[in-house]
Amino acid sequence: MRCLLVVASLLLGSAWSSMAAEVTVHLSDGQGHAVNDAVVMLTTDAAPATAPVPERPVTHIIDQRNETFIPYVQVLRPGDKVVFRNSDTTRHHVYSFAAIRTFEFVLRPGESSPELSMDKTGIAAVGCNIHDHMIAYLFVSAVPATTMSSHGGDAMLSHLAPGHYTAHVWHPQLHPGHPEPIQKVTIASDADVLHLAFTLSLMPDPRMSMDREHLDY
Amino acid sequence: MRCAWLLCLLGLSSSAACAQDFKLHAWLDGRLVAAPDESSWTHGGLGKTRFGNGGVDVRFGGAGLVGAAQFTPALLALAEVQFQNTDYPSMSVVEAYLRYRPVSLSRWRWSVQAGAFIPPISLENEAIGWTSPWTLTPSAINSWVGEELRAVGAEGHVEWRGDADTWELRSALFRHNDPAGNLLAIRGWSLSDLTYGLGSRLREPDAMVRQDGRQPPGRYDPFQNIGNRNGWYADLSWRAPGRGSVSLMRYDNRADPAAHSDSGVFAWHTYFWTLGATADTGPVTWITQAMDGGTVIEPLHGLQFETHFGSAFLLAGWNRGAWRPTLRIEHFSTRAPHSDPGIAQGEHGNAITAALNWRPREWLRLTAEVLRIDSVRTQRVDAGLPAASAITQIQLGIRLIY
Repeated sequence: MRCLLVVASLLLGSAWSSMAAEVTVHLSDGQGHAVNDAVVMLTTDAAPATAPVPERPVTHIIDQRNETFIPYVQVLRPGDKVVFRNSDTTRHHVYSFAAIRTFEFVLRPGESSPELSMDKTGIAAVGCNIHDHMIAYLFVSAVPATTMSSHGGDAMLSHLAPGHYTAHVWHPQLHPGHPEPIQKVTIASDADVLHLAFTLSLMPDPRMSMDREHLDY
Repeated sequence: MRCAWLLCLLGLSSSAACAQDFKLHAWLDGRLVAAPDESSWTHGGLGKTRFGNGGVDVRFGGAGLVGAAQFTPALLALAEVQFQNTDYPSMSVVEAYLRYRPVSLSRWRWSVQAGAFIPPISLENEAIGWTSPWTLTPSAINSWVGEELRAVGAEGHVEWRGDADTWELRSALFRHNDPAGNLLAIRGWSLSDLTYGLGSRLREPDAMVRQDGRQPPGRYDPFQNIGNRNGWYADLSWRAPGRGSVSLMRYDNRADPAAHSDSGVFAWHTYFWTLGATADTGPVTWITQAMDGGTVIEPLHGLQFETHFGSAFLLAGWNRGAWRPTLRIEHFSTRAPHSDPGIAQGEHGNAITAALNWRPREWLRLTAEVLRIDSVRTQRVDAGLPAASAITQIQLGIRLIY
């Protein structure tokens, strides 16, 4: 996955900035419910004309409310920074043992972590060592055409150059070992607006919000 | 003893005031019960349900308090007290332990806990107060776990956390559980949601008490040290969120079967294997568990009484948001060699439990449950009852959760 992200970013970057074509993607589960928090990427095999223009690093806030990380999934560019903010009335011990970045922060109520730079591409699962049911994902991608689905299950990628692409979808609750959901996409002109639909088979949400009945100590 | 446990709890509460994180949880349970005519084992009878003696009555289901203090990011203290009055009014400590679990920046994580805790056997009892969110009445296996099994000692826990699954190994050394197994031998299996804690006493069947030349009611403390031996258990589990889990456990209290307390309570050497699994198929959760073991006492030198026991169940719960219908079927048996005189008895039976759970609010659960048990027990003949028994218990339960 990491190699794919790096190669795709080099290939796609030049075509990114001034084009007008759009691809909209709708994601739903087997019951027809909209799927949010899915990452959608468009990659291409075409050779780049120029190197991609580096974007300014952005700092993303991962909040903790009601013993839940918000957002569940955060897309970052390499070099982006992340800050963990504790808006709960209880302590959290935020950590990750991901291959792309290991870290830990003990955060008192109201406290925020220092900025953490995410330089490598890949996926980092983030947990709380005090509350095991808390989980979030940092998706670090160098692919310019990367976005996330909204609460309506829709994602939009714009400024695309004509060409042949592959649309990739990632979600934390996809079944491990199953083939990655992909679709081939061809953009014929700058004015194209294409619509894709993915039906995802998802595992149950592993997050358990504060539940009086299930204590999870 | 009861006062001592209350003082412990108060001590924990005051210490917890200094802790950065202290949480208090509580539950209160009430029932409308159509009880079977047979006298329940909780009142000295041989009925296998929690309630008996017929009629339709409002009954107290129980109440509990759980306090958890996170003293440091790695150190947790947890204590749970419970009040019951089905047999006699009693306040007891279901669990009380300290857990140390440092953060790990690798796939491996370890923790240790020390105190009094329930061995990790049940795949059903995952809700507050060691109750089941699937049914009011847990399976025969987990009814017995709640009645007689408690570890007072220390447990080590190692996890390997993969991308898609987790492996866990737990092992504990414990004491103060030497009478465990007595109830299966002298009463047999039950289906009851009474969870006994440290400081409470279990009721023996009146027929057995009279047979021993004592006057009912006969009660004993299942959580006592007789013979100064350490018991152990080890549990290997595999969990894959969204797919299921498998657990295999060996338990052996290593009690000295010849040892007994001053009051005549014997140490029962109890050992068993238990294998359990869960699976999610769409909105349906499946839970299955099997137990096979034995328990031995040696009241006279060279004269041992051994009872083999076994049980298995299959539960299916349909997760439909606030509604959750559940169905469980199970089989149970005990068996003692014919050469054993006196207390050697055997039984076999089947049970089916149908429950409909409705949780319209986070703080409220309503449950309707029908439990049917068909069983045959030889001991019933000694008590002047037919060996076969077919009983039905119907309950409407309301549980308030704080």
